[in-house]
Amino acid sequence: MSQTIKIDGVTVPFVEGQTIIQAAQDADIFIPHLCYHPDYSANGSCKMCTCRVNGRQMSSCTTKAAAGQVVESNTEEINSERRVLAQMLFVEGNHHCPSCEQSGNCVLQNMAHRLGMTALTFPNFYPGRPTDASHPDILLNRDRCIYCELCVRASRESDGKDVFCISGRSENKRLAINSRSGELLDSGLTRDDAAASVCPVGALIRKREGFATPIGEREFDRNPGQAVNIRAGTLPKLPRQPGQKIRVATCSLAGCFGCHMSLLDIDERLVDLVQVVEFDRTPLDDIKDFTQDCDIGLIEGGVCNTENVETLRKFRKHCKVLIAVGACAINGGVPSLRNGIDVRELLETSYVDGLGVDNPGIPTDPELPYILENVSPIHEVVKVDYFLPGCPPPADAFWHILSNIAQDEQPDLPYDLMHFD
Amino acid sequence: MSTASRAAAGQKLAEYNNNPVNVLQIMRQIQLQAGCVDADAIEMLSDGLGIPRAQLLALVQFYSFLHLEPRGKYDLYLSDSITDRMLGSLETAEVLTRELGLSPEGHSEDGEISLSTTSCTGLCERGPAMIANGHAIQRVDTKRAKEIAKLITSGIPVEDWPVVWKAIDDVIVKKGPLLGKTLTPGAAIERAMRLGPHLTIAELEVSGLRGCGGAGFPTHLKWETCRSIDADQRFVVCNADEGEPGTFKDRALLNQYAEVLLEGMTVCAVTIGAKTGYIYLRHEYEFLRAQLLQHIEARREAGLLGRNILGHHGTDFEIYVYMGAGSYVCGEESALLESLEGKRGIPRIRPPFPVTRGLWGKPTIVNNVETLCYAAGILEHGAAFVMHKGNEPGWKLLSVSGDCAKPGIYEIPLGTPISEVLAECGASDVQAIQVGGPGGELISEEESGRLLPFDDVNTGGSFIVFDSTRDMFDVASNFTHFFAHESCGFCTPCRAGTKLMAQMTDKILDGHGARLDIDQIHTLNRVMTQASHCGLGQKAAVPILTTFEKFPESFHQRMEDVDYKPAFDVDAAIERSREIVSEERSS
Repeated sequence: MSQTIKIDGVTVPFVEGQTIIQAAQDADIFIPHLCYHPDYSANGSCKMCTCRVNGRQMSSCTTKAAAGQVVESNTEEINSERRVLAQMLFVEGNHHCPSCEQSGNCVLQNMAHRLGMTALTFPNFYPGRPTDASHPDILLNRDRCIYCELCVRASRESDGKDVFCISGRSENKRLAINSRSGELLDSGLTRDDAAASVCPVGALIRKREGFATPIGEREFDRNPGQAVNIRAGTLPKLPRQPGQKIRVATCSLAGCFGCHMSLLDIDERLVDLVQVVEFDRTPLDDIKDFTQDCDIGLIEGGVCNTENVETLRKFRKHCKVLIAVGACAINGGVPSLRNGIDVRELLETSYVDGLGVDNPGIPTDPELPYILENVSPIHEVVKVDYFLPGCPPPADAFWHILSNIAQDEQPDLPYDLMHFD
Repeated sequence: MSTASRAAAGQKLAEYNNNPVNVLQIMRQIQLQAGCVDADAIEMLSDGLGIPRAQLLALVQFYSFLHLEPRGKYDLYLSDSITDRMLGSLETAEVLTRELGLSPEGHSEDGEISLSTTSCTGLCERGPAMIANGHAIQRVDTKRAKEIAKLITSGIPVEDWPVVWKAIDDVIVKKGPLLGKTLTPGAAIERAMRLGPHLTIAELEVSGLRGCGGAGFPTHLKWETCRSIDADQRFVVCNADEGEPGTFKDRALLNQYAEVLLEGMTVCAVTIGAKTGYIYLRHEYEFLRAQLLQHIEARREAGLLGRNILGHHGTDFEIYVYMGAGSYVCGEESALLESLEGKRGIPRIRPPFPVTRGLWGKPTIVNNVETLCYAAGILEHGAAFVMHKGNEPGWKLLSVSGDCAKPGIYEIPLGTPISEVLAECGASDVQAIQVGGPGGELISEEESGRLLPFDDVNTGGSFIVFDSTRDMFDVASNFTHFFAHESCGFCTPCRAGTKLMAQMTDKILDGHGARLDIDQIHTLNRVMTQASHCGLGQKAAVPILTTFEKFPESFHQRMEDVDYKPAFDVDAAIERSREIVSEERSS
């Protein structure tokens, strides 16, 4: 007679020696995980697969199944913890999905998506760890490393090479390369090694393949898997007279206006939208300043200079509800890739040494805003009430959220409209 | 420096017979001799020991006292524990930096001097403490700091600094059986051999002896489990990695009661059937190493260690001293074993626990110094050794430091009220007591009727008193940063969580705290408590939250009554831009 455990009330058989996550996988039950891989020894470091086992939280990849165990995994309590873990991994590295080759194939991205992680509410670390591009076929971008140690294990257990090793500790932890130079070039790693393609994120990628499959057609684009849990955001109630339109202001800080373009992509529904929405200060109607206080402020882009700070603070002052729209507003996005580079180098690259620069010189006109040391997400400068992810968020997402609000409903972003890229 | 490191590497490799087991010991020696374990040294070690370079690099970057870049000829670490801060370590640092003309990073221009901070050095009652070229220096107040600066400027080597600075005596204030009774070397071993393992372990059970490192696990169960597992080899490991801030009782035992410790280890060995024992001694206690080795040698000569102990044919036991290299996590028993095996000190996945699979996968007893000492006393005199009034068993050593007249070591019966210790140590105007170190419990004066270990307020021995002049937020902030610094970084919740926690503490300290930050700290605490791999991450949010709960005014005076306040400071954010623009304008 085979022995069983219960996972979220479902009876699951297991074989002696199996861990909880192995038993769950055999029974087609999904437990979120990052560092676990069926081909390699368990590591137990990401803690994403933490479940409540007989009342106590344990890593399900390192806890052996035992007859009669009661495992809770898909509960709001545990998923909310996993959402925090996903956030932790995002903020400690530079995880800018829109500019990452791995977007759509990234397990961290997919996990965050399934867990309904719409925002990074913790401050970003913007680490600036060294990148290793020395190898002709493989690139290591340490800022994307989540220390799952899959490459370490694959190289040791599958390739028999021991190319990788975790070095350092606490926030100074790093993926180290076992070679004379300390770089990948002379490490013995080859393109077809298991370690070269096991990375669940975009830290270790094979060169010249990044965009072989277009965004939108990748593994998790095609099949993101079931949403584990979607958390509806909660917005403060907007006091309005019956029939009164909601007043909306929009702007783009350090952004590309792509989010605005996407809003316009609701096409003929714009006609319906203006029945319920009155636009105030927005580039869409070219009103340059607030004519009165607004209900909703939609902010695209991160905060990169003093003008952005002023605009953002003004929006906060004049809008009852502030929504961060798109990757740049939510975590700095593409503009924040400059974080960690000295401001002088940035200015010189742009105004002195840049291609096609005429009359080189760093501008000093007092009319010009100062650029900030880092590009920040907007919630690090003002309080943000709701986050609409995507690069850009799909037109339908705008339509959905604004319709929700116009109908006095709490905005509830459907799973398929939630994207990080 | 490269020549020095290569020379040191060659010498140490030869000294340790190219044995990879000793990799960390070799590296530590190279560091002490050459001031760094640089790429050249790593290269030589990799060839000599057959360990991949990256794994060697990983060790250097994991342990606080190993460095890739050369440290100065004067290699100074100032202890940054809360007790050092209370005794003025920040002023000491200021004086040293000024007098020696050091950069904010602590380097002299010629690279001859390096000054850094380090976690608690275990000289809590005699701070501010410093480790200078491996030597422990006590009571480095501003006056002594000036003297040190003079000595350094005159090129006087640390070896020739005043002996009294380095004479770490132990203030033993209150003696119980362990500190008070004299034990006869060999008597406990003799009796344990006569009783045999069953009765020896039964004696421990009657005595109620529990692990004194902080966990309080019944010692007899540990020994019994280890003994009963079928294995060809077993180990006894003494955990002398006393890193818990505010703890220094093991230091006193190692210094004055080493005989008792070695006796206890041997009792354990003959009981469980181990042939080899290790004392894992923290790097900061280097000054105890030589005398410990002398004790071991003397006991070997006396027939109490080595082959045929006390003439019993086939009863062999050797004890080796293994030095740590600077990592708080290594006080956790499975991390300690990893470190003993020459790896980074990352706590293992448990179960299996060390008693079943420990050092090199063999059943291993890891006991604290104090536990092993008590075991010796109990075996020599029977369980009555630890009985106190009312015939209740059990005693515990406390390291008392902070705001009190008589800091030092106190041996107290289990169940002693905190108030009694406060009265004995001459603490007045008490605001709070941190019992059990940063991850322990913060006790307010009103709660001082609570009882000391194990069952009410637990402690591995740390007992820090704060009087009413202390800002409890500063204390919590120090602890929070300590955890962020010492996190081994293995698991997500601890690695990222301790850093986030430190950032939020700084945010509040800078006057940018708001209600949302407290909510965030609660959220982090929940995840860190539930999901962290070991006790460090599980406890890291405790200081901030307990302080918020028990001393809310220390927070409120720094916070506005608002939901949200950004840490963002526009002036700081454009400082660099302004500088560049003004440079451009004037050029």
